[in-house]
Amino acid sequence: MIDRFALAFREQQQLFLFDKTYLVQSLFTVGGLATLSGRFFVQFFWNPTLAVLITLALLGLGAWLLWVSLRDKRAQWPILPLCLIPFAFLAASLSENAMHFSVLTAWLIALTALFAYTRIRSGRLVWGFLLTIVVYLTVGPAALLFAVCAAIVDGWKKRWASALLVPVALLCGLAACLLGWTPTLTSALTPAFYFDLDAQMNAAHWIPWVLLPLTVLVGCAVKDLKIKRLPLFGCCAILLIIAFVPAFKVAKNAEDRQAGLTYEYEYYVANENWDGLIKCCLSKDWIPHTVQYLNLALSWKGGMVDNMFKYDQRGPDGLIKNSDDRGVETTQAHIMFAMGNVAAAQDVAFNTLYSTEGFCPAMLKINAQVELMRGTYAIADKYLSILEKAPHYRRWAKEQKRFLYNDKALEADPILGTGRRSWPKLEGFSMFGSPLEELMRVVDANPGNAQARDYAFAYLLLAKDIKSVTGVVSRYFGQEGFDSLPVPVQEAVLFYSEYTRNVDGADALGPEWCAAHGVTEGTFRRFQKFQDESLKSGGKAPKGYNSSYWYYLLYKQI
Amino acid sequence: MRKLLYILLAGALLLPSCAGNIEPSESLDSLPPMEPDYSFVTVPRNIAPLNFSYNGDEECALKVDGKTIRGKKGLFSLSERLWKKLMEKDEVEMTVLVRQDGAWKAYRPFKIYIKEEIDPYISYRLIPPGYQGWQKMGIYQRDLTSYTQRAILTNDLTGGNCMNCHTTAGGDPSKSVFHVRAAFGGTMLINEGHIEKLNTKTDSTISALVYPYWHPSGDLIAFSVNKTLQAFYNHDPNRIEVYDLASDVVVYDVRSHEITWSPLTKQEDRFETFPTFSPDGKWLYFCSAQAVTEMPREHRKVRYGLYRIAFNAENLSFGDQLECLYDAPAEGFSVSFPRISPDGRFLCFTRHDYGNFSIWHHDADLWMMDLQTGEKWPMEAANSPDVDSFHSWSTNGRWMVFSSRRDDGLYTRPYITYINEQGEASKPFLLPQKDPKAFYKRLMESFNLPAFMTAPLEMSKHRIVTEIRESSGVDVQVKN
Repeated sequence: MIDRFALAFREQQQLFLFDKTYLVQSLFTVGGLATLSGRFFVQFFWNPTLAVLITLALLGLGAWLLWVSLRDKRAQWPILPLCLIPFAFLAASLSENAMHFSVLTAWLIALTALFAYTRIRSGRLVWGFLLTIVVYLTVGPAALLFAVCAAIVDGWKKRWASALLVPVALLCGLAACLLGWTPTLTSALTPAFYFDLDAQMNAAHWIPWVLLPLTVLVGCAVKDLKIKRLPLFGCCAILLIIAFVPAFKVAKNAEDRQAGLTYEYEYYVANENWDGLIKCCLSKDWIPHTVQYLNLALSWKGGMVDNMFKYDQRGPDGLIKNSDDRGVETTQAHIMFAMGNVAAAQDVAFNTLYSTEGFCPAMLKINAQVELMRGTYAIADKYLSILEKAPHYRRWAKEQKRFLYNDKALEADPILGTGRRSWPKLEGFSMFGSPLEELMRVVDANPGNAQARDYAFAYLLLAKDIKSVTGVVSRYFGQEGFDSLPVPVQEAVLFYSEYTRNVDGADALGPEWCAAHGVTEGTFRRFQKFQDESLKSGGKAPKGYNSSYWYYLLYKQI
Repeated sequence: MRKLLYILLAGALLLPSCAGNIEPSESLDSLPPMEPDYSFVTVPRNIAPLNFSYNGDEECALKVDGKTIRGKKGLFSLSERLWKKLMEKDEVEMTVLVRQDGAWKAYRPFKIYIKEEIDPYISYRLIPPGYQGWQKMGIYQRDLTSYTQRAILTNDLTGGNCMNCHTTAGGDPSKSVFHVRAAFGGTMLINEGHIEKLNTKTDSTISALVYPYWHPSGDLIAFSVNKTLQAFYNHDPNRIEVYDLASDVVVYDVRSHEITWSPLTKQEDRFETFPTFSPDGKWLYFCSAQAVTEMPREHRKVRYGLYRIAFNAENLSFGDQLECLYDAPAEGFSVSFPRISPDGRFLCFTRHDYGNFSIWHHDADLWMMDLQTGEKWPMEAANSPDVDSFHSWSTNGRWMVFSSRRDDGLYTRPYITYINEQGEASKPFLLPQKDPKAFYKRLMESFNLPAFMTAPLEMSKHRIVTEIRESSGVDVQVKN
């Protein structure tokens, strides 16, 4: 029911800052305390296990608050399972990331208020009014839950005046709408307040909101029934177990609605955990984008071209998502960044940064790095100073700050220095041409940029354009930082050389040329063997070459 | 005993700001490093206190008007009472003191010059600087006499859509117009307590209405219609280019919901944009460029000159010829945002190398033209090495607020400059904040289209939001 990577994805949708202005600004909005406390917890979700533990702890705390609000001398622990039911459905509701985590903290604050309210002995109604207003201002429509629950608790004891808390909460919602704090009355009074602005909220998200007052009602009722504790506990436990079935179904439906999202991959990308990403790609059934994630991870690990043909490659689409996708896309930004197309990376990263509920930390990092590469230090300083206020990113930001106004240190850095040297010499608009065109501009500016060069080779190899592979080798081999060829490139060059020798009119590239351009003795020998075995196999792929480029070139359909 | 406690408590509260008299033992031969740089700026008498920070780690203090104010982490917070007293003068001298090696040293003093009052409000949009993604944006109004900012409208109330081009009639917020896009799209027109939504795309125009400027009568608004695109450079420091594939200028009649134009403001082979009426309403000024056929390949060839055409508000008729006031393309430049002073004498425009979206052009500077003599000059005191662009006159014609990227090259900030009777600018000052250094460093949005207002817009957000969300809008027609 709780997908730990879906929770971790939330961490990339916000940036909690230990900053006075941020804290004050967040608090002075309707529901600000719920939002702020929600973000406080979510900042720890960079660790998916911690994310689950925190979420479970908060859900448990909520159930406990509900229980302590309901219990009295007559009934205590037996109704505890009952109190877990609304939270099972709230957990299901949180399975959809469009439902903000603040809904949980809003519930906790509302239930804390309910607990406090049930302990008030005198002036209860006045305190109730005050609590309703304060809870509305701090957490939003969850105040209506507080008011309804408080009215039920009191109503059961025939304190009918407490029913007035409900119209007070409704009036708060009306006021919020009229004052322009919420767009509509619906958002001022319903769970829609905690849902993404532009998303359609499924009716299933209402279930916990209905179940909470219902649970309070049942909780009050069973206390008056003369049932022994153990049977009562048994009934409540059975109810809880039964409730888990539809809760799971709600969660599953919520997950299905966001099935296109690949939270686990996104998690490894956002945290630049390339080993984890490779392991994840290789341990699961492949979905359409898996190969792009895998190649990205191979690129950052180094030696992408050397290793990529060990896996099922199916053409150049395996390198990049949609080459003209400038939208909200963290992985696209990371791929562009790895390709050395830092302008395109920044374009996408900036869009993504500003399109999240808070600021996406991974995208802020890319933006800071690109600004450092540009030498626009004031902007880089701005971004790094913000990241410094987020505990999880503090150390990284401090490390990057040493490059501010220090060109020498920056140019010596493998990522930033390479990026700065790789700005295209030929001016143009990014993401207007093909990905290869843009890659070649980077390679042309800095043939020593191994990652960009690898992506360019990979693109050509996957497109089976061995003539262009040889052209790139011919043009750039031997330049600074480019003194050896990945094995698949050697294989392509050698194949092309053999092809030109057998085609009339083509400029034949002899073995001397190949040897002078990075083809090693071992590759020559293997190629000879591959040719011999191919002849013997009668058109079938010879055994033992599945990881070679020759196999991909001759036997893979793309 | 209780009295003594109160005295001690009051003393403790006052301690951080008042430092007693500090006498420096040495003078430093330079101005203090400070943020924002408010040295030798000219400010209006009714502006909020210009708090600023000393950019150093040492203990610091500020001497002003015989008083010494301690810096708190470098920040000098000027009390409203002291500031009001200072603003009664014509100029104020300030000295920053720092404690170095155990001794107090004084930086070279600087002055702040005080001139006549300014319109008490400005409006602006807060948006991510360019690009295409956003979650939040909004149109705000800021009280210049204090630090209070209030939202006129934020897009969390309207489905997260884009909203832009907010413009008032000569600074009067009771006559305002702005656009909202996407799901609740339309042009919102506020007219003396009434609000309506307009659907402004017609079969005869290339787009919905875009850049507005009110006629002094308050009954007409000149708009451009533009087919605009945006692209991201792969290296150019300007980063983004916003360019038009086509554009024209039209006039909208608020009363009849009709638009009209002259063949001279809607030429096939030209791009016309950024319309502005003269203060007497008899002329329509705009920028116009020779159209090119291959965009964006030829975008650097598009250069706009400054033109005007006679206009009769009575019968909505135009003159039969265009007058070129500044053939900027002939000099290898382009102009945008013509804005005329309320007395009709000066025209301020932005000049840059090419194109029309000057906020992305680091070379963009403010220029002034004397409409009586045709003479023009760069507003050197106001300009910076970085972008200086969109500008708006105060109603008394003595102040101008403009957009500048001088601080970090990306995030646009509003600067205010004094314009004297000869049309010359003074050193501008950054919009004051309680803690401006922290505020601007933390702020991840740009100030877009800052413009003066004589009063706050009083219409409730709820009313505006209801009209946006619920009205299907009035279809704008073309005048026969």
